[in-house]
Amino acid sequence: MSLPESQLERLETSVPVDVADPEAVLGKSPTQLALGRFRRDKLSMAAFVVVAGYMIGAIAAPFLNKFGVIDPFTLHQNLLDPTLGSVPKGKYGGISWSHPLGVEPGAGRDVMSRLWYGVTFSLTIALLSSLVAIVLGTVLGIISGFTGGLVDATIGRLVDLTLSFPQTLMLLALSATGVALAARYLPGNQSDPFPNAFYEILVLGLFGWPPICRLIRGQVLSIREREFVDAARLLGASRRRLYFKEILPNLWAPVLVSFTLTMPAYISAEAALSYLSVGIKPPTPTLGNVLVDSINYSSSDFTFFFFPALLIAIIVVSFNLLGDGLNDALDPKADR
Amino acid sequence: MASYRKKALAVAAAASMSVALAACGGGSDNGSNNNGTKSGEATKGGTLTYYIRSAMEHTDPQRTYVGRDITNWSRTVYRSLVTFPISEDAAKSTTPVPDLATDTGQSSDGAKTWKFTVKDGVKWEDGKPITCEDFKYGASRVFATDVITGGPNYLLTYLDIPTAPGSDLPLYTGPYKSSPEGKAAFDKAITCDGNTITYHFKKPWADFPLAIAALHMMDPYRQDKDQGDKSNYQIFSNGPYKLDGTWDKQKGGTLVRNPNYDPSTDSTDIRKALPDKIIIDIGKTSEQIADQLIANSGADKTAVTSQSIPAAYYSQITGDVAKRTVTVTSPFTDYILPNFKTMTNLQVRQALAASTDVTGWVQAGGGDKAYEEATDIVNPAVKGYQKDLFPGGKGDPEKSKQLLQSAGVQMPYPITFTYPSTPTADKMAAAFKQGWEAGGFKVTLDGVADQDTYYTNIQNPGQKADVIWGGWGADWPSAITVTAPLFDSRPNLTKNSNGQDYGAYKSAEFNALVDQAQEATDLDQQTQLLQQADKVLAKDVAYIPTDTAIFYMLRGSDVTGYMNTAASNGYPDLGPIGVK
Repeated sequence: MSLPESQLERLETSVPVDVADPEAVLGKSPTQLALGRFRRDKLSMAAFVVVAGYMIGAIAAPFLNKFGVIDPFTLHQNLLDPTLGSVPKGKYGGISWSHPLGVEPGAGRDVMSRLWYGVTFSLTIALLSSLVAIVLGTVLGIISGFTGGLVDATIGRLVDLTLSFPQTLMLLALSATGVALAARYLPGNQSDPFPNAFYEILVLGLFGWPPICRLIRGQVLSIREREFVDAARLLGASRRRLYFKEILPNLWAPVLVSFTLTMPAYISAEAALSYLSVGIKPPTPTLGNVLVDSINYSSSDFTFFFFPALLIAIIVVSFNLLGDGLNDALDPKADR
Repeated sequence: MASYRKKALAVAAAASMSVALAACGGGSDNGSNNNGTKSGEATKGGTLTYYIRSAMEHTDPQRTYVGRDITNWSRTVYRSLVTFPISEDAAKSTTPVPDLATDTGQSSDGAKTWKFTVKDGVKWEDGKPITCEDFKYGASRVFATDVITGGPNYLLTYLDIPTAPGSDLPLYTGPYKSSPEGKAAFDKAITCDGNTITYHFKKPWADFPLAIAALHMMDPYRQDKDQGDKSNYQIFSNGPYKLDGTWDKQKGGTLVRNPNYDPSTDSTDIRKALPDKIIIDIGKTSEQIADQLIANSGADKTAVTSQSIPAAYYSQITGDVAKRTVTVTSPFTDYILPNFKTMTNLQVRQALAASTDVTGWVQAGGGDKAYEEATDIVNPAVKGYQKDLFPGGKGDPEKSKQLLQSAGVQMPYPITFTYPSTPTADKMAAAFKQGWEAGGFKVTLDGVADQDTYYTNIQNPGQKADVIWGGWGADWPSAITVTAPLFDSRPNLTKNSNGQDYGAYKSAEFNALVDQAQEATDLDQQTQLLQQADKVLAKDVAYIPTDTAIFYMLRGSDVTGYMNTAASNGYPDLGPIGVK
């Protein structure tokens, strides 16, 4: 037998508290508790700062480019040594005041500008693909978990089917056709950023949703048995209201955590796919296509290889730490 | 990484490539040219490894059309009537000498009839003698254009066989299926009298022996070994080596000594045949090959490669490693061409040529060990080359802007440039973009990542790019195998394809000069006419030459007699190479 609500309220307020302003303590929501836990975790906070820094940089880059602060496209071939395969003259990849991270071999474009501008494209791709995957995964997960029966079984098999598809192979095999198709409806030709990015985001997203769907479905299975859901149902709430007003607000913790964990996966996926020449093509830089070019220079111009690799490593590690930290903060009882 | 773009060249090979000259060591003064060419004693025995990056499309002699393979097959398994000798002197190594024939051929009737006599005692790898009929059968395969694809097709236009009614193709359609009339016409055009084979042509073919030596289309072929397309990777030898087992398209194969080869029918000026075994190793990247050859251990000590050292490795080529390198100007010239369907205004094309930054392009490609600036589409080593046909250099943006202004077009003038994309090619294209944009253009780069279909794409008459990249090597050292196949609109432009005339260039003046050159019986007169034709192209800006690829190649320390001859198109020549 459960306690009548009126009694519960009375019981709570009657608890004696030894604080100056008792309302402040009592008002602490689960979110505030989680935030408090997160703030106390120094590593996660550091990761958060780094990620925020990347984000701000990524947003600023197009403006900096427009105002000429960074210049990822102008060639400086006078800084290169044509007798040594056009690697930069001088030590450490041609590092100087005007080119703090050196210049790239061959064309002599400024490495810092290219990386900075590249972060914008890499993060945009990762962000949008994550969004596609999360939205699809969450919606299908809710429907699957809440409805059960045939719908659940169908979506479950769809998840199995998608997971069993070789994603990279699909990306490669369909890339020419996919990009050509995208180029027909989007501005630019087949080597412009838009069609390529659109295709990459779509395929990454379409193959990324199944794990999220499974996770959300598990959560929904437990949430749907709770009283407030029964209450809403008894009050005659529509399916849509049940899904998005009753259940979804209880899912934001796992959604947020899976988002911070898919981001780094997609940042590295972008780099890996650049290696297979899928995705945004030069001259538009991304972390991936700058890194791909630099790999062969790992022995003759180590600086050029070092910085893109370092930038990718930092962002991927930071996002992962942030995701773990969020997971710990939001779900402290979870056993790891 | 020149090697990446070489792949695109190799695709050009499918369309046509080449024998041409390669002058040794052009412009390099670091003293590493051909170091150790004569190093070591020429001793028999040992195993040589030859690293090649991508798969050969054919090993069938009539279908072989890749510069690297033509002479290496000549040196090992496929002998021809005449062939090129081993020599470091470019002129000598592209002058045919008798091989399976007793002499270099006798012509009569104004070079319309050619006669060769097959040597006695020459045998196939199963011990049967090579007969005149085998040569005739080999030539007949060229006419089966539906089965024997990919090879040179000069015979189709030259051999005296009437064309089929309502078509430009000959009446004869090859040994697999042909009308009796076609067969009869072919039997009349090539006749056998004992060991003497006679070819009858429609028009004069003054340099026919050059064409035999430079390509494998006139090779003998045994009828009982022919399975049409199934024979694509069959190697039935008549040279000093034979294939051990079968050919693996992705991995290559091993050549071992052919017991039925009689050195007395041959000359050591053509093939020394020193190693006991030659492994042709396909599938490693240029970077892997460079790593292995720099390390120089185990089997790599006796290895050579057809891949140039990637630019990223240049700084590792010092000391002892540098002594194992060679720098050779290749016979291949790269060029860009305006699409005549979209860039119809002459002044716009002139502006494009004026603002083309060839220096930046070459430097982005790796500098002077990777490319040499070109000023003519005809390679410097080919007859008909004209220095300073185009200005080259950094380009003149001001002149370009003036031209665009006087053309009265909207500025910046938008153009799209298409090319086979690799990280290096992307940077080279960025150099062009910068030059053109300084000259008043607005450039969109369209790099095609799928290099295997690059040429198919640009041959499509509907392709939209305004500026197109291309690469070409002469089939034999005459400009008639450069400008004529690339810009004569008549055989090239059809409803479904632009052929090799990617820019859909059409000029009656040029075509007339080509006709005159083809009819010319005197080689000097022919060369002169071709130079005039090339000037017409330059006047119309039908193309803009960009670079001649440099071969910068590394070899193992125990390789002897290493040579990159003009006969082998600048690639390592298997004729003289042995191992310690």
